[in-house]
Amino acid sequence: MSATTVTIPGVPEGGLELQGIVKRWRGAPRPVLDGVDLRIEAGTLVRIDGANGAGKTTLLRIAAAIITPEAGTVRLAGIDPERDRRAFHRRLAFLAAGNTGLYARLKVRQQLEWWARMCFLPRGEREARIDAAIAEWGIEEFAGRRLDRLSMGQRQRVRLAMTFLPDPELVLLDEPRTSLDEEGIDAVIGALHGVTERGGAGVWCAPAGEPAAIDFDAHWLLSAGVLAPAAQAALR
Amino acid sequence: MSELRDRLDAALAMARRDFLIFTSYRFRLVTMTMGSLFTLTLFHFLSRLVRAPGLESSGRYFAFVVVGLVIVEVLTSTMALPPVSLRQELVAGTFERLLVSPFGAVGGMAATLLFPFCLAAFAGVTTVILSTAIFGLSLDGGSAFLAIPYALLGALAFAPFGLVLLAMGLLVKQTVMGASFIVSGISLVAGIYFPISILPGWLRWASDVQPFTPATDLLRHALTGTALLHPAWLEMLKLVGFAAVGLPVALMAVRASVRRGRRSATILEF
Repeated sequence: MSATTVTIPGVPEGGLELQGIVKRWRGAPRPVLDGVDLRIEAGTLVRIDGANGAGKTTLLRIAAAIITPEAGTVRLAGIDPERDRRAFHRRLAFLAAGNTGLYARLKVRQQLEWWARMCFLPRGEREARIDAAIAEWGIEEFAGRRLDRLSMGQRQRVRLAMTFLPDPELVLLDEPRTSLDEEGIDAVIGALHGVTERGGAGVWCAPAGEPAAIDFDAHWLLSAGVLAPAAQAALR
Repeated sequence: MSELRDRLDAALAMARRDFLIFTSYRFRLVTMTMGSLFTLTLFHFLSRLVRAPGLESSGRYFAFVVVGLVIVEVLTSTMALPPVSLRQELVAGTFERLLVSPFGAVGGMAATLLFPFCLAAFAGVTTVILSTAIFGLSLDGGSAFLAIPYALLGALAFAPFGLVLLAMGLLVKQTVMGASFIVSGISLVAGIYFPISILPGWLRWASDVQPFTPATDLLRHALTGTALLHPAWLEMLKLVGFAAVGLPVALMAVRASVRRGRRSATILEF
């Protein structure tokens, strides 16, 4: 089993730490993740690339404590999701790849209101936070419209607005560019900078070869179950 | 305390979400009410054929079966609807969102039962009102108000069954047929369509090992004044017992299914 340690030097302790992550699919000849170590410090943005099926989504799902690895540990600011799941998920936000995770029959604002309550946002702050998210993601025009009546790009903005709504410390984005126009991508960049300015961190997963929309503090490639630094030339 | 308040608020948000989705289909309430009306009409005519001990007049059988129909509404809403909702959540990817929320999958799954209970209560009240207004059902004015606490107690006692079905749904992904099978089985042994006294002796035990028989008995007694099979306090004690034992066990089953689904990474499969 190989292991790759990925650490960004010179930044404070904390953030996300994955150690020795192993995940294998039944019947597969080798693990999809084979002893992956990853440390993402507070205040940094990291990009992870990989070919289709390389295991990016699996890695993010393990980092988000959606699924558990066969071996290895996950910690966010020292919190073990298996011991204190709620505290872990109060700090983390996750955007799944694709255009899933929305209730087609709800209106945009209703969707955000529902999510704010799932995230335990204080009652007194909810309305202001939702208003701010609607403005930040440019969804005012269709905030009163049902999700199944929106374009794919508009839906992606709603998904992103939900992701950033609780002001997370760590944001895991799985292919966030999906269906977004330039303005939408700028909004993602702005939101990520907002997270790092607050002392948080962000991870952007993308298919190998997708142009980078932002300067990352680190850029890694997931291949054959192993995470390794991507070529320096691909950083920008 | 604040944590508990947040969780209750999130559970109410789940119920509100389900209400909004339900009412986004404009004719759903109308078709639901029409369905109740047709079922009542069917039993109104069927009741003319029934001549059983204790149910000699058609009016008595109709009164008997109306309460059974209310219980069927509850059974269907709490056992058949939640697994369908869970499957929709898995297909739509919204379950993944629940998994990464502070409220979490277990809380989310438990809260999935709230709206079906409210809907069942609404459907039950509608059924009783239609029976009274159109088919001349006479309610027992003195004790009809007791139907509310009995129904709430019954809901608590039924909830574990709904939760276990949800837990199974997360593991085997398809429990709709299983839910229908259970609803049919309960309808057979809980005195819903006919008195359990006519069941063969070897099947009678099944009437005593689930909470649906005492709930039906209590509700029927409160609404139509029929005699109870057992003293009210004993029937209520049974319901409390089922809820007190069943709810923690069912929540453990839901937790275990989430844990297992996460470990096998099948939790998001559908």
